[in-house]
Amino acid sequence: MDRLINILSQSLQAVVALKIRTFFCTLSIAIGISAVTIIVAATEGAYQKAFEIVETFGPDSIFVVGGSEKSRAVTQRQKTLTLADAAAIRSAFATAYLVVPMTTVQDVIVSYKGNRYSAPIVGTTSDYSRSWSWPVVEGSDFTDDDLRRLANVALLGNETMKQLFGEENPVGKTILIRKIPVQVVGVLLERGSAQGGGNMDNRVIMPLSTVMKKLQNEAKYVAFIRVRFEDQENLDRHLEELKAFLRRQHRLPDGEPDDFQIFSPKDIIKFLVALTGSLIAFVGIVGIISLMVAGFVLANLFHLSIRERTGEIGIRRSVGAKRRDILFQFLGEALIITTAGGLCGFLMGVAAARLLQHVEAFPIRFSWKAFAIGLFLSWLVGIVFGLRPASRAAHLEPIEAIRG
Amino acid sequence: MSLLCLMEDVRKSFPMGEGSVEVLKGIDLAVERGEIVAIMGVSGSGKSTLMNLVGCLDVPTSGRYLFADREVLGLVDDELSELRNAHIGFVFQSFYLLPYATVLENVLLPSLYRESAKDNARERAVELLRLIGLGERLHFRPNRLSGGEQQRVAICRALMNDPELLLADEPTGQLDSRTAAEIMNLLVMMNQRGKTVIVVTHDPAIAAYAKRIIRIKDGIIVDGQAD
Repeated sequence: MDRLINILSQSLQAVVALKIRTFFCTLSIAIGISAVTIIVAATEGAYQKAFEIVETFGPDSIFVVGGSEKSRAVTQRQKTLTLADAAAIRSAFATAYLVVPMTTVQDVIVSYKGNRYSAPIVGTTSDYSRSWSWPVVEGSDFTDDDLRRLANVALLGNETMKQLFGEENPVGKTILIRKIPVQVVGVLLERGSAQGGGNMDNRVIMPLSTVMKKLQNEAKYVAFIRVRFEDQENLDRHLEELKAFLRRQHRLPDGEPDDFQIFSPKDIIKFLVALTGSLIAFVGIVGIISLMVAGFVLANLFHLSIRERTGEIGIRRSVGAKRRDILFQFLGEALIITTAGGLCGFLMGVAAARLLQHVEAFPIRFSWKAFAIGLFLSWLVGIVFGLRPASRAAHLEPIEAIRG
Repeated sequence: MSLLCLMEDVRKSFPMGEGSVEVLKGIDLAVERGEIVAIMGVSGSGKSTLMNLVGCLDVPTSGRYLFADREVLGLVDDELSELRNAHIGFVFQSFYLLPYATVLENVLLPSLYRESAKDNARERAVELLRLIGLGERLHFRPNRLSGGEQQRVAICRALMNDPELLLADEPTGQLDSRTAAEIMNLLVMMNQRGKTVIVVTHDPAIAAYAKRIIRIKDGIIVDGQAD
């Protein structure tokens, strides 16, 4: 043990002394490791983001959007889902504990006193807060009674509340929505950005019946239906059943494409993984190539260094160093350098990720895992590419080395 | 006195092309403990090969070589390393000091590879350097020393593990004659303090410091074999 410590201290001394070799090896390893660090952090960030979104979306929920997949963006599709569909689903699926039909009207001017704000209006049943696991922080949710009465009541998203009321308490106040006076009954918890980056906090939530009748002049169609199931484990099966059920409900003949689209938490994860995947693939290839290059740089500089240091190897052997002492010394040099490269690379990765986040809000998360993987890979490079030169040094015959 | 080195009919050949070439052709050599001996010969005479064998840097192809009461012929590489580490101190023509280490660290080098760690290595190294007059330069790098000083550091390194044998290969080859005399006097002093000293040289003036001169020619000892 003492011997190994002695030998590694010799490695350290050589690493410090041979500055140019150390600099170039460290730099090349650091570039590779920084790429690896970004990949690991981005992957972790993406998974964490996906997990958060699924939590928000509801891991037990399915979201049905009217209109076929081919026709236009989600918010502009033709309406094919009806209130009757929602009712039918409610009675057909025993484990569906929430079936919430919804509709939206974009860019509606909402005003209070002199303040005006353009917000999307969401019409929904009284289960909105529960169906989105989105608590009402002030006041209360509207009721089934409000729905029946087509009551002019609304829940405000946090952003809308701030825009209209500032510091004032909005509960019980009357706002104007397309000149219709509406009473604010509650305020929703601030949610932050939603999936896809959009802000959900600017919404105004009103009873579905009120929105359909008074804002849309619509009696039948809704834009979305949200369904939550008690038995989350059977979600995939329910998804298929719901699809078949809606096709029958809409009397779609075989071969006709769906006139609706169903999203599940898995789709969100898929979307995010696809988004992250391209970056990971790119940086990953760059990372692997640069680590390979770093390895070859290391191996070559070590070969050169050993050629210059045959005298040193010879004198060490003649004063009693064994082959493995020489092997460990040079392997130690390689590992010290790659460890330094790994540490620098991690810091460079963190810095680069900061820059990347300025360019685009990309989910990145640094943890011990990114650090550990980077360090492990730098050791791997050190051993894989340092072993050959070190072993060559160890197998120099002392008489050859001294003569050289 | 007892024998430190005993060679009987030692031969050494090196592979060359299809066959091999015999460089040492039956060497008989005996060196007693406490002797100071010069091995002389022109280049190509086999004296370097002989010195490598004596110093356990290489093993004979055939014959017997007893060094410090051990048969060297069958030893593996690790055992040779241990033998050199404990019993032999080398002094080479071109010093071979580590350029990036200090004088003190260079002298300490053999202590790093000892089988059993001794804790007084540093003190001993300092003491040796004081003895040869470099006590003020412990933390200098070799490139700040003159050639003679560098060779004195190398001699301290050779003495570090308190070996029985000091083996010097053309120790004055890179030095002027005055410095060469200083180095040779130092080796003679070490001999007087009990070390066995073998100097390999082609220079009669250097060989003259030895009590006995062994001459080698074409792989055979021609003179001074045994008294």
